[in-house]
This record gives sequence, C-alpha cells and structure tokens, in this order.
Amino acid sequence: MSLTQEKMRADIAEALEIAPEEITAEANLFDLGLDSMRLMLLVMGWQDEAEDADLSEIWEHQTFAGWWGVVAAQKVGV
Amino acid sequence: MIPGRTAFPLTEAQEGLWYAQALDRANPIFNCGQYIELRGGLDVARFTRAFDAAVAQSPALRLRFGMEGGAPRQWLAEAGPRLEVVDLANAGDPEAEALARMWADNDRAIDLAEEQASRFALYLLSGDRAFWYERIHHLATDGFGIVLLTNRVGELYSAQETGKPPAPFPALGAVFEEDAAYRASERRAAEAAFWQGEMRGLETVAGPAEGRAVTSTRLDRARAELSQEFRARLMAVSKAARVGWPDVLTVLTAAYFSRVSGTGERVFGLPFMGRMGTKAARVPCMWMNVLPYRCDPDEDTPLPELLQAEARRLGSLRKHGRYRSEQLRRDLRRTAIDARLYGPLINVQPFDMPPRFAGLEAHLHILGAGAVDDITATFRGDAIASLSLEIDSNPALYSKAEARAHLARLEVFLMGALGSERLADVPTLTPQEERWAVHGVNATDHPVPEITLTDLICAQMRATPDAPAVAFGSTTLSYAELDRRSAALASALHARGAGPGKVVATALPRSEHLAVALVAILRAGAAYVPLDPENPPARLGALLERTGAVALLAEADLDAGGMAPFAPEAWPETGEAPEPGTTPDDLAYILFTSGSTGEPKGVMIEHRAIVNRLLWMRDHYGIDTADRILQKTPITFDVSVWELFLPYLCGGTLVFAEPGAHRDPSAIARLVRAQGITTMHFVPSMLSAFLEAPASEGLELTRVFCSGEALTAEHRTRFHARVKAQLHNLYGPTEAAVDVTYWDAAPEDESQPLPIGFPVWNTRVHVLDARMRPVPPGVHGQLYLGGVQLARGYLGRPDLTAERFVPDPFRRGARLYATGDVAFMRPDGAVVYAGRADHQVKIRGMRIEPGEIEGAIRVTGLVRDAVVIARADGGAEPRLVAYVLTGPAFDSAPLLADLATALPAHMVPAAVVALESWPMTSSGKLDRKALPAPVLSMPKGTPPVGPVEERLAALYAEVLHLPQAPGREADFFDLGGDSLTALTLSFRIEAIFGQDPGLGQIFETPGLAQLARALEMADTARAGLAPLLPLAEGQGALLFILHPAGGLGWGYRRLARALTAPRPVFALQSPMLTGAPLPGALRALASDYADRIEAQAPRGMIHLAGWSVGGILAQEVAVELAARGRALGLVAMLDSYPAECWRAEPELTDAEALRALLAIAGHDPDRHPDLDSRAAVVGFLKQGGTPLGSLPDAVLDAVVQLVTGTNRLIRGHHHRRYDGVLTHVRAARDHAGRDLHAGLWAPHAAQVVAIDLPLLHPEMVSQAAAEALGPAFSARMVAAEAGQLTEVLRA
Repeated sequence: MSLTQEKMRADIAEALEIAPEEITAEANLFDLGLDSMRLMLLVMGWQDEAEDADLSEIWEHQTFAGWWGVVAAQKVGV
Repeated sequence: MIPGRTAFPLTEAQEGLWYAQALDRANPIFNCGQYIELRGGLDVARFTRAFDAAVAQSPALRLRFGMEGGAPRQWLAEAGPRLEVVDLANAGDPEAEALARMWADNDRAIDLAEEQASRFALYLLSGDRAFWYERIHHLATDGFGIVLLTNRVGELYSAQETGKPPAPFPALGAVFEEDAAYRASERRAAEAAFWQGEMRGLETVAGPAEGRAVTSTRLDRARAELSQEFRARLMAVSKAARVGWPDVLTVLTAAYFSRVSGTGERVFGLPFMGRMGTKAARVPCMWMNVLPYRCDPDEDTPLPELLQAEARRLGSLRKHGRYRSEQLRRDLRRTAIDARLYGPLINVQPFDMPPRFAGLEAHLHILGAGAVDDITATFRGDAIASLSLEIDSNPALYSKAEARAHLARLEVFLMGALGSERLADVPTLTPQEERWAVHGVNATDHPVPEITLTDLICAQMRATPDAPAVAFGSTTLSYAELDRRSAALASALHARGAGPGKVVATALPRSEHLAVALVAILRAGAAYVPLDPENPPARLGALLERTGAVALLAEADLDAGGMAPFAPEAWPETGEAPEPGTTPDDLAYILFTSGSTGEPKGVMIEHRAIVNRLLWMRDHYGIDTADRILQKTPITFDVSVWELFLPYLCGGTLVFAEPGAHRDPSAIARLVRAQGITTMHFVPSMLSAFLEAPASEGLELTRVFCSGEALTAEHRTRFHARVKAQLHNLYGPTEAAVDVTYWDAAPEDESQPLPIGFPVWNTRVHVLDARMRPVPPGVHGQLYLGGVQLARGYLGRPDLTAERFVPDPFRRGARLYATGDVAFMRPDGAVVYAGRADHQVKIRGMRIEPGEIEGAIRVTGLVRDAVVIARADGGAEPRLVAYVLTGPAFDSAPLLADLATALPAHMVPAAVVALESWPMTSSGKLDRKALPAPVLSMPKGTPPVGPVEERLAALYAEVLHLPQAPGREADFFDLGGDSLTALTLSFRIEAIFGQDPGLGQIFETPGLAQLARALEMADTARAGLAPLLPLAEGQGALLFILHPAGGLGWGYRRLARALTAPRPVFALQSPMLTGAPLPGALRALASDYADRIEAQAPRGMIHLAGWSVGGILAQEVAVELAARGRALGLVAMLDSYPAECWRAEPELTDAEALRALLAIAGHDPDRHPDLDSRAAVVGFLKQGGTPLGSLPDAVLDAVVQLVTGTNRLIRGHHHRRYDGVLTHVRAARDHAGRDLHAGLWAPHAAQVVAIDLPLLHPEMVSQAAAEALGPAFSARMVAAEAGQLTEVLRA
C-alpha cells in the first residue's frame, strides 16, 4: 500500500519528460504526450506497489484526477 | 431487419476486418484461438462458475454478423457461449487428442450469421492437468479483449480465495458510443490529415519476400525465448536512451526488416490497441488498429539519438492512432493488393502475460491471432521476467526454413544493435550465414599454372601439328601451319615494335587470317585490340591513338583515320617467332565496351585472368580434341575470346562462320550440320529467334552456351523441345574476363527463374547492400565479383577504374568489381540475376520490374516473345509499352484482357506494339533504343466502349451519385467510392449482369475498363463451359480435341492455334459441367460424344485428339464413329495409356481430385502441399486470377467430381479395337518408375505411331508442346485428307 499521489505524479512526469508541476489535476495526460504504451508500462509498474488492487480502471481516464480517483477508490493509496 | 432482434452497424474497426473476411468467407485465419494450460488441482465447478460470470460481462462473445440492406450489420444472440467440459483422461493420448480437437476447430471457417463467434472448452487431461481452449473470431474481439476475458476468468476463479471480485466490465454500448462519437468528431478529420501527411508521396512498399502479400488460410510460427542477457541489454539501452523498451524493440526490428527488404519503401504495420483513455478500455471487443510506420533509419546516427527521434515519432503516430488504416488506404487510393500501406508487422505486447489462477500454474499457448499477409514479429512479456520473440509468416511467401532464418537473424541483429553505437556497425547476417555467404559459396580455389595464353597455344601447336586448328569455308589450317604463319607474322610485328606492354589492333573480318593475326600478336608479346571495321574512320583513328597501337592488322582498303593497315597480302611467309618474355601479368587484350554515357571504356585483361577462364571452361565441360567450336560472335565482344582461343587449348578446331552469318538462323543451322559443330554460343534473344526458325528443328550438337542477356526458363523449355544438346547459362561482364558464373540448364532443371549459378575457379561472387554488407538469401542486392579474372582496369581512366573496382571488404588488398547488376542468392548458393538496376521503372510512383510483365505476356502463348519498357515520349508521364513478336494481323485486345486478369492494374501495359522481328545491335543483342514509339492514345474521359462498359459506367454513376456516366479510365475509388459503396456496386452488378464479381475484384481493378474486362473474362469462362467450344477457324476437315479428366478443354487453345494449316477446331468438354449427369460407362459417354461430333460435322472426314483421359476417349469415339461408317483421319493421344494400366489403381481420394484440379489450372500440386481442402484450393485459384478461379462454385464442384468420376469410368472400361492408325505422343520426361509407352496401345489399334516429346505429362498442353505438335499434326491431317496418311507415316 505504498502508492502515493506524489509517486504517481513523479512517475508520469518522468515518463513524459516534463516537470511534475505541469501535471495538474485536470490536465489531459494524453495531451501532455502520454500514449497507450507508456500508460501500460506505468500501470504495470504501480501494480506491484498496489498489490492486489485492480488498477485497470485507470485505462478509461484521461486526467490525473481521474487516475488518482481510481486508486483512491481502491483504498490502496495513502 | 429480421423482427425480434436489434441489428446495429459495425464499428469502424470491425468494418476493416469484415471486408478482409468478405474477400474469402471460407478462410479460417480470423479465428483467434489459444489455450491456457492449467496445472494443479483444478476445481471444475468453480471454474465453470467463473467462466459463466465472465461471459455474462462480455456480450461481444454473443455477436452475430450478416448483410442487411446492403451493409454489414451485427446483432446479439440470445444466449452466450457455454463452456464444454470434455474429460479426455481415458483417451490414448489425452494431450494429442485435445490439441487435435482444438486445431480442428481453429482451422474451420465459421458462419458468422449462424454460429457463435466464440467457442470455449475445458479439456481435462488428468487429475492435475487441463487445457482451457478459447476461440473467438477477430470481429468479436481483438487480442487485448481476449486477454481481458481470460484474466477475468482467472480473477473470478481466484476471488473465492482473495475475496476480491473485480469490478465488472463496462457495458458494450460504451464501445459503440465511443465509435459513433469519434466518427462524427473533428479529431477524426484532423487525424485523417495527419496520416495523409505521414504517407505523402508513398511509393511501392517493400517486404522481405517477393510475391503477393495476401493472407493464406494458415500461418507458420517460429518462436524463441530471449535470454536474460538480451533483456538486461535491452533494459540498459532503454534506460540510457530514456526510451521505453517496447519502442527500442520496434525501432530496431524496423531497422532489421529495412535491411532485408527488396526495392521499395520501408513501412511497417504496428498493431495498436488504441483503447487507453476511452470507455472501451476495459471492454472485450474489437478495437485495435494497425498504424503504418514509415521508417528507413539513418544507420550513421548514434543509436540513442536515433531511438529518441524515432520514439517521438512513434508517440505521435499513437496519438493519432484512432484513425483506421483501412480508411487511410481508401483515402490514398491504395486498395489494390500491390498498393499495400505496410509490409511486415511489428507487435510488442508487454501486457500479454499468462492469467493468474489461485492455486494453479497457468501457461498461455497461442493457436491463431488473425491474418498474416506478409510476416509479423511479435514480442511478448514484460522484458524483466521474460520476453519471447515469435515470427509469424505467410506460408505463401516464406518457407518454414526462411521464417526460421528470419527469427535467428533478427535475434542476433537485435542483440548486436543493443551493443553497438550505431546501426551501421551491425551485420545483417548471423556469423554462420556470413561465413557461408562470404567463404562457403566462394570456395573456388583451384590451382592454375603460372603461364600465359601464348604458352598454352604454343604447347598445343607443338603437340598436335597435323590436327586441324582452323576451318573457314573450304580452307583448313593445321596446327603446324598456324604455327608457321603466326611465327612469321609475329616476327614482323616484333620488328614494328610489338612486345609486352604494347598493343596491336586488328579489324579483320572472320577468316583464317584473323586466326593467324591473333596468335601472332600474342606471340609478339603484345595485347590485341579488336576494332569494328564498320566504324567510321574518325572513331577508329581515335581508338588507335588511345591504345597507342603499334600496328593495325586489317584489310588493305580499310580507312582507319590515319594508320595504314598491315594487310594479310603483305604478311611474310616465313620468320622466327620472337621470345618476348611475356608474363601472366602482361595484358592479353583490351576490349572496348560502350559506356552508358560518354566514350567507350577500354577494359584491360591480363593473361592470368583469361587463362583461368579458358582452362576452367576446358576442364569443367571436358572439351577436347574432338570438339569443333563455332566462332560467330563479332570479335569486339568478349564472348568471341573463348570462341577464338579455347579450341587451341584443347586441340580442337576453330570453325569460322562466314561474315554476316551470325544473324541468320538458317545459315547457322546449316553450318552446324555441315561442319559438325559441337560447341557454340547464343545471346538468348538470338537463341529465341533461332528456335523459331524451321532449320533448328531436330538439331544435334554437344553443348550450347548462352550469355549476354537473361536466359529464361521459357528458353530452356523451348530449347530442349527442339534441339538435342546440353544448355549452359554463363554470366559475366567484360571486366571479369568473359564469364564468372555458370549454370547447367538441363532438361530436368526446374529452376524458375533460371539462375546464373555458381562462381568459376578462383572467383568470388557477393550480393551486397549499399554498405557492402552481404544480404541474406533471397534478398536483392548488387552483384560484386572478385578473384583472378578481374580486369586490370579501364585504359587511361583511373577515375572510372577506382569507381567500379573497389577495395574488397572481405580480403585485405583484394579488389571487387561492382557489376551494377541486381541479383540474389538462392539458399543453395546459386546466384539469380534480377535485372539491371537501371531497367527498373516507376509508373505512377510504383516501382515495376518489366521482366515480370514480359513473363506474364509470354505465358499467355499469344506472342512469340515480348519486351516491356517505360516510355515518356514527348515529355508525357512514363507509360508501359509492350513490344511483342507476332504475325502481321495481331489483335492486342485478347492479350490485354489476359494481362488484366494476370497482373495488377498498374502493370498492365498502356500500349502494345506488334513487331515481326527485334531490332538488334551489332553484337546481336536487342537494341532497346530502336524500338518504335507507340501510336496512341486513350485520352482521359473516353466514352465507354461496348455494352459491358456502358452498363458498368451507368452503375458507377448510380452507386456514387455522379451527375453523368464516367469515362472508361475512371477509377471507382478516385470517384469517391469506398468499401461500402464497392459492396453496393457488387450487388448491383450481380443484379444487372447476373454474376457477382466479388468485392476483391473491385478492389483489384477499380478502373472501369479493367473491371469490364474482368467481368467479360468471367463471362467468357462461363460461356466456355459449353460441350463444344470453338478454338480455331479455317479450312478443311474438323478437328475435335477431347477433354482431360476435369472436363474442361480450354487448355487446348494453344495447340489449336499452333496448327500450321488453320482448320476448324473444337474442344469437346464434359456436358456435366453444365449440369448433365455422368453416364455409368465410358462407352455410353463416347457414344454421346460421337452424337455431338456428328451434329457438328455431318459429313466429311473427322480428326480426333485428346490429352490424358481425352486420348482414351478419342480412341473409343474413333471406334464408335468408324462403326457408324465415318472416315477418320488423325486420331492422336497426348500421353494417354489404356485402361488396363489403371484398373488396379485405387479410387481417387477427394484430396487427390483437388490436387488434380490444381494441375488442370496449370499449377504444380507438389509445390502447394498446404492446399489440402476444397476451400483452400478454390481460394488459391481465385486469388491467382486464373480463369478457373472465376468459375462459380457449382462448376468447380463438378470439375472435382468429374476427376473422380471419369477415373472410375476408365478403370471399368474395356477397349474395342480401332481398325486404323493411332498417333501417340509420349511425355518422355515423365513416368519415372512406370513403363508407360505407346506400345501399350498395340492391342487396341491396327497401327500405333509413336512420337516422344521431352516434356512432363502436365506440359503436354504447354506452348512448347503446341509448337512441336502443331506442324506435325497439321501435316498428318492434310495427308489423311489427301488419302496418304499411311505413306506420310512411313516416310
């Protein structure tokens, strides 16, 4: 249960080669350069830290708020 | 719409697949089958519950598909698929049984309207092992959808322990909403613009294999597990370059395929799931797209930089990845098969991991994953714990061995690239392949003495002084005379300054003086330079000056622009030959070749080089004192060098053809017969003319060599049907001492194309890419030559020498000659010439090899020979023009109609020019520049011609809502047509014309005139089923040719046209093709045929012939007609044998009957072992564009049944004696192991006359057979009508 908002934001920022501050809650991550391949790799990376939680609902969302909402609903984030 | 259910349109993603499946509804390739191997204590009830729950969340599994209102629609069946639980524990081999059942299901095409799109079974193999089989049609879900479903079953099964049931999948409706929203969005228009920009100016797309990339009904798969070291390197490169590892693999795999692809653009298809960020992300459904990735990487860019730039591009492609590539093809008017958007597929699937089942071990095995048009590289795994590489290939394009070679090579290439700073440093071949290509095929070391050509000649002159050395007309020189006269002249030349390093020119015509002159020049130690006395004086003068010739041996009256000829009349009778001390490194001759631009280039050949070439030829072909070698090549061409000197190296005789004779086939044939020639040479186009001349019939000699142009398989067949001699193909440029490779084109050689073969002694051949790296077998590259035969260089042109004679990258200090010829190496090391790089032409952006079109023209049998070039007369766009050799009254329409069905539209020539002979250059090669410009043309907007085109134009206008009917050049898709309107068009054509052209035909020939031709062809095919099919017209008694086993008589067209005295000819075809029943006995069948023949020929003589079964029928029909009092002339059977030979044979199986069908269509069944079902054979025939493939299914069924049925009738038949002459033609190269011969007919006829043709049974209706039999049959028929048949036969 170690997945945090900060960790998620930092990982996304690293994958997109942008500053974490650019990833606001409502920013569309695909507009920031995310594509499905990178998304899958990110989610696969987080899955280990989220243990048995099902993060796949993240796939349906385009914003950081949407993503965190999925994690929060699973009650795995802290 | 059918009441009681709601049908809805397909999504764009489904549409693409639906059309692909509609091209061949019987193709099962779209079945995506896989199984999960489960080990451990499986709870079957719990598994079934999990399965049912997962299916309940996945309505796509219940989809059905069909046409409604002219468009494809889908609806949901009431019930979802059930899990079949099958206990195989008691089966003999449970695993094999389960696999057989799974494959059987996966290989069966399903009826999408009537059957479940998916099927699931659980095979229980033993207490702790089970296979869970899943098969879903690609229309229902894509690969990612299957992963979702499979994992969901695992999650639900496991939930009992974890207590965490997963959130259900969103409803399928979300998918349709997303699709509808995208279709209506501005984003779609923007993405369309993006992709059109990406693909701007796209030319023909290349792939690693030659041939049409259309999916087969199955695929081959080769698989490798990538090592821990590989994964570690991948991760390290990915991290250092800051590029995701999937992109690293994509870019490097693209770089590999770029290396091994032929001419054309590099575009790769990237399967793209495209779901992320949409409501469809977690719905099992068909959603994936294939993104065209145009990538020909700059290999000099540092790898991290290259990876970063390409990864940015990949990101951008994915960002626009919703736009369908099928739609893009339509946007770009590239719907024809040859206008594909991408070649190999590169599929990286990091998420494709086996599902997790609590308490069980699970392993995934893929059976099928959709169509493979060309070749697909798939990477599965997370690259940390595991990574595998699969090569899926289309068996129609790649053998299993080739596919395995790609797997091995790609793995080694990737490993190499991951450890290199730039791609340029990475070899294409594996080390093992490179050893083979560089050294293995070039293991040609052979000891050759340190000696000059002069030494060899002098030794022979001393050894056999009395033997004849030279013959010219009635003049003969013995070796002693040659010795004496050449010594005297050499002495005179020495006095004029000739010696090593000096040059003496000769411009003598063929005569014994020429022989003396050449030997004398060499004995003086000088190199000879042959000049053409027909050249203008200024040019001769310039060449003499360039070479610094010390003397000119020529006729006294030659004006050579200054230098006075030293004519034979002035030569001394006696004199002592000098001892100039010539070494193997001195020049033997200088030959001028015409450069493509600028002045002629003087190629300097040393003694060492030509001695190697001549001694190789002497030993390799065993040429000896008994041989008489014809000299007919002008001495300015290098083929003349072996003709002029080889006789002296083996003690044989040099026989000169009289001047001018080399262009006259009759004179050549006369000379060969009169002079007892054993060995001679032809340029292939001259050989072709020679084989047509009546004088060449039945010629016998020891061996014929061909070089100078491409020798084709067609030449080989025609040669052996006419001339009794060995046929050898040689290849080499003047720059490598005449020839460097050889191939034995023996009658039993079946190579197609015919290779130039293997390197001669001390010679190396390399097929290299633009960076001088060897390319894999089958891949085109430039041919480079190395070894002892290379020229010293170009006289006085060190710049040109340096350009073409380059450092050998494989041997320090050695040189390679860059031939400028395109070639590839076969897996056995034989080199195949694939044209000059500069002959390749581009028509509307498509790269075209004219040789391919020429081949297609030749196989129609309508012309004697063909040459295709692209012309841009008067600054117009280049157009393809076909030049054909025919008689004067040639109509190009039937030829163009044949080509329209055999070739893609852009390869059909725009004009056909009929010629009676080829313009030739002075060397006897085709003079391309002298081919006349065609008179044309077809301006844009020509009104439709004929009723078919007119009605079709009206249909184009109707379907596309055009204000007026389009012209005959109009292209359906250019006018705004798309897949849907194409489908409407096909329905309308079916309604109006009564025949369904098939969607594929519209995509292949969207041009109005071409589609009309295709419709007419199909129509002709149908009309061509009548029992009496007219084949030829003319005067005289009628000839009826009876059908072979399949009932069709189309194949006799060539024979009918080859008759030298034209007469009415009919093929008699089986009435069963048009629905009549097959009688119970052959005699009844023959009686029916006799009725039909009499109806057509109520009086006069009747001639009969037939191939195979047709010959047996001909004999019985002859008996029947004779009993009715009719006079019979020719009764000929082409390779037929009496019923008793077949009586013991078992009934044909269906598979054998199908294979016979392939043979009937002109294909060798042994080359297509994979075509083992009716659907497969029919699909193949339809694809191939053969007329047989255009037959309605019912007729094809009849053909297959006829093959079996007629065979049965024959086994039950007992012959009656025919009281007349049977003419029997035997396929002499066939029947290995069975003694089948004409004599078997002796009990069934008064007399049997036997003819042997060196052909195979299927070739008895080929052009070669027709050419041989046409004159023979004509003579016999004419004689029979004059009442002299028996006399002719005795003669």
